[in-house]
This record gives sequence, structure tokens and C-alpha cells, in this order.
Amino acid sequence: MLHISNLHASVEGKEILRGLTLEIGPGEVHAIMGPNGSGKSTLASVLAGKEDYEITDGEVLFHGKNLLDMDPEVRAGEGLFLAFQYPVEIPGVSMVNFLRTSVNSVREYRGQDVLSAGDFLKLMNEKKKIVELDANLTKRSVNEGFSGGEKKRNEIFQMAMLEPSLCILDETDSGLDIDALRIVSEAVNKLRSPERSFLVITHYQRLLEHIVPDFVHVLYQGRIVTTGGKELALELEAKGYDWIKEGAI
Amino acid sequence: MTTTQQTVRESFIGRFKPVAANGKSLGTEARNQALSALDTLEIPGRKWEAWKYTDLRELSQREYSLATASENIDIQPFLIPGMESDLLVFVNGIFVPALSHTGKNEGRLSITPLHDLKGEDAALFESHFAQLADPQSDIFTALNTAYASGGVFICVRKGQEALAPVHLLFLTDASAKASLSQSRNLFVVEEGANATLIESSRSIGENTSLRNAVTEIFVGENATLEYVKLQADTHQASLIDRTEVYQSQSSRCFTYTITLGGELVRNSLIFKLDGQHVESHLLGAWLLDGLQHTDNYTQVHHMQPNGFSNELYKGIMDEKSTGVFNGRIHVYRDAQKTNAYQSNRNILLSDTANIFTKPQLEIYADDVKCSHGATTGRMDESALFYLRARGIPEQAARLMLVRAFAGEVIEGIQNEALRGYLSEMIEKRFE
Repeated sequence: MLHISNLHASVEGKEILRGLTLEIGPGEVHAIMGPNGSGKSTLASVLAGKEDYEITDGEVLFHGKNLLDMDPEVRAGEGLFLAFQYPVEIPGVSMVNFLRTSVNSVREYRGQDVLSAGDFLKLMNEKKKIVELDANLTKRSVNEGFSGGEKKRNEIFQMAMLEPSLCILDETDSGLDIDALRIVSEAVNKLRSPERSFLVITHYQRLLEHIVPDFVHVLYQGRIVTTGGKELALELEAKGYDWIKEGAI
Repeated sequence: MTTTQQTVRESFIGRFKPVAANGKSLGTEARNQALSALDTLEIPGRKWEAWKYTDLRELSQREYSLATASENIDIQPFLIPGMESDLLVFVNGIFVPALSHTGKNEGRLSITPLHDLKGEDAALFESHFAQLADPQSDIFTALNTAYASGGVFICVRKGQEALAPVHLLFLTDASAKASLSQSRNLFVVEEGANATLIESSRSIGENTSLRNAVTEIFVGENATLEYVKLQADTHQASLIDRTEVYQSQSSRCFTYTITLGGELVRNSLIFKLDGQHVESHLLGAWLLDGLQHTDNYTQVHHMQPNGFSNELYKGIMDEKSTGVFNGRIHVYRDAQKTNAYQSNRNILLSDTANIFTKPQLEIYADDVKCSHGATTGRMDESALFYLRARGIPEQAARLMLVRAFAGEVIEGIQNEALRGYLSEMIEKRFE
């Protein structure tokens, strides 16, 4: 479903991704780990279509289409979802208005009927339960005044609402306490399906105890330097990244 | 003054004169003062601190003629859907009874076009007229005091609560020729009374126009007034507006100045808090594009102790438009325990838009809490990306952010239909 080959991306003239190649099949869960500055979040941003990055080489195909040519909203319509590392606060835009516009924009793109106000509320209440989101949060402005954990749960809630085929979780575990981590992981696990793939970007192994990956990749200096099964994450936890760095040189 | 300036000045004043033929009998003293002030008052220019960023030279040299009113105008597009109100329609500054209707607030407030004033209301008018807007202070106030005949006197009676808002629709009809008009309002909200007034400035026609408006407002002890100005004229219509508010003890006043249209719009809004425990809220937003120019000049005078004022103005400017915010809070020596806040926030949507902002505090009391500040920036790109990453098309996402930014200004408006209407007007502004 997602083919990344020889991807090069720079920001302000500095090359961050330097020939990244990765293939994700339907229903697979891939974890990307790596030391700080290895390009993990850049990969997430480039896939979601953030404009700050310049793609200098390589190709990304999503369901066979050229992802890099698409606007961010088109990527969302095509089924790509990024759970942000730092969800943005948007004062004055209510959660309900935001979600309804979002869900209906995506539905429209996919050729589905726009949801009525009643059907939308029903959907919202149903999906809210998955992440145990406080009912009052949807009455507030987008992410405004949300705690760190609430923001991350809100990301997974939006993921559930939009029914994507590829979910990218960018350090969703950062800033989460044990309980929030459990709720977020359980929600993700509920959303796993044979058609839905996940790209889980994380610095630590603990998230992968809950969301068990099919593949673990180590990203270093903008390239995937090693790939293994879920046991690779444990090895990294025990040995750190130094041996990867040495191997890469 | 050079000879050229003198000529421009005289011909500008001359265009207003024919209105004097209306033979008014009220406010004679102030009018005489205004007339004699007109012998010397100049058209303000950039050397005047209060007009530093707004150039009137070109505007004052245009050909205008005092337009007449017509009853054959479809006012439907300018009404506020779902809002029950008393409605007074003025076309080119002239009251049009056929388009107006009152009666929703019978016995609670009196609404009288200026030329119909008589009896007790006339006496009340006489004792308040020109008490706030000094006819000798500037040429526009003088011209208005001397010659304006269209407008309304509204008195909300002691202890009464208005059952419905009063909507004043000032419609400029510049479809046949350039239009010059004036309007003059006086509102007296008596002790313990409560009302909502809406003033819409709208226009039709492609010709240029200028409206010169002065409004004086007295808010009595324990009274509450909500006053909403919707300025949504065409890009050919200009407006010079001066509004002065005088508040007595424990009164509350909320003003909302929403500027969406107009070629050049100048709003002078002056508050005098002359009583203890007075609360004043000055809210404003402008959304501009093209070559539009909007200047919001405000003064808040804290004259007595324990006052509270909160001022929030937000500007969004696109293309080659220009916004000006020039606001001053003045805390008098006796006004201890004053809380006064002022904030101006702006978004520039293009490289060619301009904002001049000048928040000022002048404090002579020592036990006060005051703050002021201004920010100017671009649209929040990270918020825009977040919305787009959730499937919302770029244009819709931008509109959402614009509405959210400006929406904060109107969220306190009590009447739901009115708030919804303004919100929709803001939303549609950049569509």
C-alpha cells in the first residue's frame, strides 16, 4: 500500500532524509525507531505533506498513486492520517465544527454522502468511547487547554473518525503517563484491521509492548540501517543506539 | 493654510450647506457654535496626531452631491434574518417611514426621528445634544452639528428593559450619482434601563459616497447598553464616524465595531467613565482587502475610581488594504483601583497589506491595573497544516481560521440571531 524508495528530503538546504526505502503492506504494523535527529519526524511530516520540506529525490507511492504530488487534504482523502507529535491548538474553532468539516470533507473526497448533524453526533459519540475522551472536550476549541494526554487521545479519536488506511503515529507516546499510554495503545489496537496499516514512530520501546509491530526499522542519518521483528525493539532498549551508529560508520 | 488648502476646505464645506434649508429649531446654540467654528476648522491631515495614518485630501476633493432618498429600495438584503426588532431606515441620511417599523418596545423606549421631536423628548434632546461631541473639535463634527438633519433620538426609559433590539439601517444609495450624507444620533439610556441597539451602514450603487455620522450616547446609573455597529458598505463608500459614550455610576456598555466594507472608514470612539464601578467593553474587528482603509481611533477616559474597561480590536488585512489602530487609555488622578486592558491583534494575509498600530496608556493614578499591547503576524501556518492534514481543503481551512480569529470579538453578543448573522458576514467576507 505504501512504497517509499530512495527518498531524499531537505529543510533549509540541510538534507535530513538520505535515500530512505520502505515498503508497508496492508494490515501491517511497522515501527520506526532511531536516535534523536535521525529523521523520524521528518519522515512523518514529508508523508503528510508539510510544505517546509524539499523533496530532492525518490518516490512515494500510496495505493499506487504518487503521494508527493498531492496536497495534504488530498492525502487525507486518500486515506493517510498523521497523529501529530505536537497537536496544534486552534482557539476559536470548536472541536465539533472542526471534526464535522473534517469528516465531511474526507467523505466528499471519497464520494460518500455528507453526514447529517444527527448521524455525525452519533458517530462522534461512538468513536469517543474508543479513546475514553471526556465528553466536554468536544465542546471546547481544538486542543485548546487540553492536557498532553488529552491531546494525544484526541489525535487517536480523529483517527477513528476519519477511518484512514494508513495511520502514522509520530511519537504519540511522548509525554504520556502509563494510564494514558495504555488507553492510547488499546484504542490503536481496536483500530487495527487487515486493511489498515500503521507506521509507528517512537523513541522508546515501551509503546511497542502495547502496540506489537510486525516490523521494526532503525532510522539513522536519514536511512533505514537495520530491520527486524519486534525483538529488535527489545535489543535496542537493552543496548541503546550506539552499536547502530558504529555499524553505520 | 495655503490658498489651495483654503479653496479645498471651502468647497468641501460648501457641499454640505444645502441641508441647512431644513429649518431645524432644536440645538440652535450648538449649531451656531459649529457654524462659526467652520470659519476656521481645517480638514485634518497627517500632521494631526489623531489622523496621522489616514489621509483625507483626495476624499475631500471629490465631487459629491447631497443625495435624496427613495422609497423604492429593496432593503431585504440588509435585514438581520430571524431577529425581531424595531427598524428605522435612513436612505442617504433621510428617514424613510415607509421602510421602517416600530412598536416592539412600546412604552419602554421612545424612538423619534430628529425632525419629529417635540414635548418632553425635545427637552431631553436639547439638554444632551452636542454635550459630548464638541462641535468645535474638528471639521466633521462641526459639519455634522451644523447641518445634519437625519438621525434619531432614542430614550430607553428609566428601569425599562427593551424587548427587542432597535435596528438603525443607514443605507447609502449611490446608484444614480455620488452621494454625500450625514446622520446624527442621540441615545439616552436612563437609570437601570437595558437595551440593544444595532447600527448598520450599508450601501448600493457603484458611485462614490461619503457619510459623516456622529452619535452621542448617555448610559445612566446601573443601566446596560449593547451597541453594535456593522459597517458593510461597498468598496466605493466612505464613512467618517464619531461615537461618544458617557457612562454614569455602575453602568455597563458594550460596543462592537465590525468593519467589513467601505473605501475609507474612520471610527472615533470615545468613552468617558464618569462614575464609580463603571464597566466598558470596546470590541472591534475589521476584515479588509483591495485598497480599503480602516482607522479605529479610540479613547477611554477613566475619570472615577473602581472602573473597568476592556478593549479588544482585531484586524485582518489582505491585498493592498490598510488598517489603523490608535487607542488611548487615560486614567485620571482620582481614578484609583482602575482596571483597564487594551489589546490589538492583527493578521496580514499579503505582503502588500499594512497595519499601523499605536496602543497608548496614560496613567495619573498610582493604584491601578492596566495593560496594553499589539501583535501582528501572518496566518498560523501550523494550524493551517493541521486542518489540511485532516482533509479540509486549503481555502476552507483559511476561512475557518479567519472566522475563528475574528469570531472572538463577537462571541459576547447577547442576541443569538444577531451574533449568528455577524458570524456569517465575517465568514462570507473572504469567500
